[in-house]
Amino acid sequence: MIKLIFAVLLSWLLGASIYAATPREIIAKALLIEDSEEQAKLVTSLGDSDPQEVIALLTLWKEGGIFLNVDAAGAKVPVTLDEEKDGEGKQLAHRFDTGAAVGKLLASDLNAAETDSALRLAMKSVLDMAQLSSPDAKKRQEAVETMGSEQDPERLPALLARQTRETDSRVKRAIREAIALIQLKDENDAVKIAACNELGAIRSIPSQDALKAIVAEATAESKTNLANAAQLALNEIAKHVTFVNTAGTAFRGLSLGSILLVVAIGLAITFGLMGVINMAHGEMIAIGAYTTYVVQCVFGPGLELSPFGIHIALPGMNATGTLYNCYFVLALPLSFLTAALAGIALERGIIRFLYRRPLESLLATWGVSLVLQQLFRLTFGANNVQVSSPSWLSGNWTVNDVLFGWNRVFVIVFAVAIVFGVTMLLKKTPLGLLIRAVMQNRQMAACMGVRTERVNMLTFALGSGLAGLAGAFISQIGNVGPSLGQLYIVDCFMTVVVGGVGNLIGTVISALGIGMLDQSLQQILGNPVLGKILVLLGIILFLQWKPAGLFVTKSRSLEN
Amino acid sequence: MFQSLKKSILAAGIATVAVLSVQAQDTVKVGILHSLSGTMAISETSLRDVLLFTFDEINAKGGVAGKKIEPVVVDGASNWPLFAEKAKQLLEQDKCAVVFGCWTSVSRKSVLPVFEKNNGLLFYPVQYEGEEESKNVFYTAEAVNQQATPSIDYLLAQGKKKFYLLGSDYVYPQTTNLVLLEYLLSKGVPIENIGGGFKKDESGKVISAGKYTPFGHTDYQQIIAEIKQFSAGGKACVVSTLNGDTNVPFFKEYAAAGLTAEKCPVVSFSISEDEFRALPAKQLVGQLGCWTYFQSIKSPANKAFVDNFQGWLKQTTVDGVKKEGRVTCSPMVLSYDGVYLWKAAVEKAGSFEVDKVREALQSGLSFNGPGGKVTSQKNMHLTKNVFIGETKADGQFKILKQYDGVFGEPWLKGTFKPKVATK
Repeated sequence: MIKLIFAVLLSWLLGASIYAATPREIIAKALLIEDSEEQAKLVTSLGDSDPQEVIALLTLWKEGGIFLNVDAAGAKVPVTLDEEKDGEGKQLAHRFDTGAAVGKLLASDLNAAETDSALRLAMKSVLDMAQLSSPDAKKRQEAVETMGSEQDPERLPALLARQTRETDSRVKRAIREAIALIQLKDENDAVKIAACNELGAIRSIPSQDALKAIVAEATAESKTNLANAAQLALNEIAKHVTFVNTAGTAFRGLSLGSILLVVAIGLAITFGLMGVINMAHGEMIAIGAYTTYVVQCVFGPGLELSPFGIHIALPGMNATGTLYNCYFVLALPLSFLTAALAGIALERGIIRFLYRRPLESLLATWGVSLVLQQLFRLTFGANNVQVSSPSWLSGNWTVNDVLFGWNRVFVIVFAVAIVFGVTMLLKKTPLGLLIRAVMQNRQMAACMGVRTERVNMLTFALGSGLAGLAGAFISQIGNVGPSLGQLYIVDCFMTVVVGGVGNLIGTVISALGIGMLDQSLQQILGNPVLGKILVLLGIILFLQWKPAGLFVTKSRSLEN
Repeated sequence: MFQSLKKSILAAGIATVAVLSVQAQDTVKVGILHSLSGTMAISETSLRDVLLFTFDEINAKGGVAGKKIEPVVVDGASNWPLFAEKAKQLLEQDKCAVVFGCWTSVSRKSVLPVFEKNNGLLFYPVQYEGEEESKNVFYTAEAVNQQATPSIDYLLAQGKKKFYLLGSDYVYPQTTNLVLLEYLLSKGVPIENIGGGFKKDESGKVISAGKYTPFGHTDYQQIIAEIKQFSAGGKACVVSTLNGDTNVPFFKEYAAAGLTAEKCPVVSFSISEDEFRALPAKQLVGQLGCWTYFQSIKSPANKAFVDNFQGWLKQTTVDGVKKEGRVTCSPMVLSYDGVYLWKAAVEKAGSFEVDKVREALQSGLSFNGPGGKVTSQKNMHLTKNVFIGETKADGQFKILKQYDGVFGEPWLKGTFKPKVATK
C-alpha cells in the first residue's frame, strides 16, 4: 500500500517536473550553458512543446533579441529589451524567465546571447517541426524542403499527416517531393521505384543527387527496374533544368541589360544628344550612390563626416521596421536632385565654355572626375561604405524553379519607367520640344528666341540626374566607394556608342542586347571572364562594320 | 676671423659625425615595405601601423640586443615593379637589417630576386598559396595547410558532402583550389561533388579547378543560380577565395537568392576583421572564416595586445594613422609575431647578420603571441594554431574550432593521393 502511494506520489512528482518545464524555462536554462552541444540537446527537447511559443522564443534568440546581463552578484541573467527608448537610448529590460523588470539598460553595453552553427542546426530542426503547422505557407514550404533534403524516415509520419490537411499548392508540391525523397531510403524496391516516378513527374531538381546515388547503387546490385526508373526520372529533371537555365539566362540578361540601360541613359542624353564627352558621368553615378548612403544613415543611426577638418554631424532618426525600409523611396528623388545640381554646377562652371571643343571637354571632365573621386575619399573615407538593402528588395520570387530576385525585377521596372519618362519628357512637354530644337540646330533655335544656354543647362542637369538615379540603384547590388564611377564609365560609353550616338532607342536596344549576349555566353561557356572578353571583341568587330552604331541619326545640319 | 670660423665649422662637423656615429651604434635600421597608396593601401596600411606599434613597444623595453629600432617606411604604392625598386633602396642604400612587408603574392614575387641578390631578409605576413621557399624570406604567413585544408576538415566534420570552389582570378586562389581539389579527392569526395567547373590540358590533367571572376566583378547572378542548383540537394557549401570588394555583390546576390549560412555556408579565406569593416555585416552572419588569429580570442596575451595597440593608436603622432574603428586581424598579428621572432633570433645569434639570424630562426624559436604559441621552422615557415570562426553581426568572429600547433608546409601540390572508392 505504502509502496503504491509512494509510486503514485513519485509519478505525480515526475509528471509535475515534466509539466513545469515550459519552453520558456528550457530556453532560459539553455541560455546560461556555455557548451553548445548541451545547449543543442536542450533545444532539441523542445520538440513536443507548443509550436507557436517555441517559434517565437527561438526566433528571438536566433535574431539576437535576448541579451545576457550581468547582475550585481556577478551572475548572468538573460533579459529582453522593450522597444521603447528613453532620452539616453536606454531600454527597459525584463528577465527572460520570469518577465520581471530589472531596470533600464543600454543595448550597446549588453552582449547578445550567441548561437553557433551546431546550435542553430538544432534550432532549425526544432523550428522546422514547429513550422510545419505555421500559418505562413512560405515557412511551411521551407520546413518541408529541409526535411526532404535530410531524408530522415522519422519525419515521414508528420509529413503524411500534414499532406492530408495542406491546402497551399506550393507546399503540397514540396510535401510530395519530401515524401518521395524520404521514400528513396525505403527498404522496398517497389516503393523506391514509385518514389523515382513521383520525383520525375514533379521534376524535382533537389532530388538529382539522391537519384544519381540510386542509379549507381541499383546498377551495382543489377536491379535494372530501379535503375531504369531512376534514370528516367533524371532525364525528366535534366530537361527541366535546361528549361530553367534558359529562362533564367533570359531573365538575367534582361536585368543586366536594364542595369546597363539605367547607367547609360543619362550619358545618352549628355553625350548622345548634347555631344559632350563627359568623363565625369561615372562620378555623377557615385554622387547618387553616396546620397543614398547618407539618406540611409539619417534614417538609421546618423552620420559623422569630417571633410577638410570641418566636422559635420547628421543626427539619425534611428528608424526601424517599415519606416527604415522606406528610406530608399526618399533616396531615389534625392539622388536625382543632388546629381542634377552637381550637373548644373559642372555645366555652368566648365562645360559651357567648351561646347565647340569636344577634346578639351574630354580632358576637363576627366580632371573633374579625378577631383570628385578625391573629394569622395576625403569626405567618406577610402573604404567602401555599407548600404543595406531594404527588406522588400532582398527577397525573391520563384516560379517553376526560375528565380526572380526582387532587386532584379525592380531594376527592370525601374528601367522601363525611366525610358518611358524620358521619352514622354522629350516628346510631349514644352521643355522636351526646346531640348530637341536646340540639339538639332542650336543657331536656328537661338534665332527663334530659344534661350539655348538655359536649355543646355537643363538638359545636362537631366542627364546627370538620371546618372544619380542609377547610382541609387547600383548601391543596392554592388559596392559604394570612391572608384564606383570608374567601374561603370566604360560600360556607359560602350552602350551609347553601340546604340548609335544621339538615339535613345538605340541605347535601349544595345543595352538589352549586350546584357543578353553577356549572360548567354556566361551560361554556355561557364566562365565569366571569357564571356566578357568575347562580348568586348564582338563590340569591336561590330563597330568596325557599323562605326556609327545601330541607329544612325541622319541630320541636315552642316555641323556634322 | 677666418681661422675661428674654420675651427667652429670643423668643430660642428666633428660634433655631427660624433652624433651620427653614436646614433649608428645605438639604432638598427628596419624596413617597412607596404603599399600606403593605391588599391592595396586599405589593407596594407594596417600592417604599417601595427609594425610601428611593435617597434615602439620593443624600443620602450630597451630595443633589440641593446639597439633601438629605427624604422624606414617606404611606399610600394600597389605597384609591383616599384616594390622591387623600394626593396633595392632599403637593402642597398639604407642597409636595413631586416624588412617587414608585402601583401600580394605578386609583390612578393617581384621583390624576391632583390632579396636573394643582396642576401636580405624579408618577413612576409599574409596567407599565401605556397609552392615557394626562399632562404631570404621568412613566411609567418598562413600556408595552405594552415587555412584552407583545416576549413575543409571542419566542413567535412559538419557533414558537408558537396563543395563549390569560387575565387578571384589570380595566383593565390588558382593554386589554393588546385591543392584543395587534390585534398578533397584524397578525403573521398567524388569529383562530381566538387562544383565550379574544371579546365583540363590536352592530356586530361586538371590545370584549373573552380569558378573565377576578375577583380571588380559586379554581376554574380549566373554564379549564384549555379550555386543554388548545386546546393538544392542539401549538404553543400561554398569555398570562397574571392578577394576584397567583390564580396559585396556576391553576398548581396547570395542573400537575394534565398541562400543562407544554414543551407549552404560560405567559408572565405580573404575576409578578416579588417576587411569586414567594409562589408554588409548583416548579410554575412553565420558565414565561416579560418585564420591563425581572431580578435575574439580570449587570452591574456591577446587582451594585452589589443589594449596596447588601441592605446598606441590614441597617442601616436604618425601621419595618416586612422584612429577610430580599428580592429586587429591575422595578418597584423603575424607581422607582430614576426618582429618578436626576429628579435629573439638576433639575440640568440648575437648578431644582425642575415646568415646568423636565419640560422637562429631555423633552429626553432618560440614566441607566445596573441594567437597563441608560434614556433619557427627549418623551412622558414611557422608552426601555429588555426581557428575556425563564424561571423557575427558586430564584425567579429565567434570561434568554433581550434587546431593546435599546425606545421606550416608550403609544398602541398601532389602530396594528397586520391582515395580509391571502397565498395
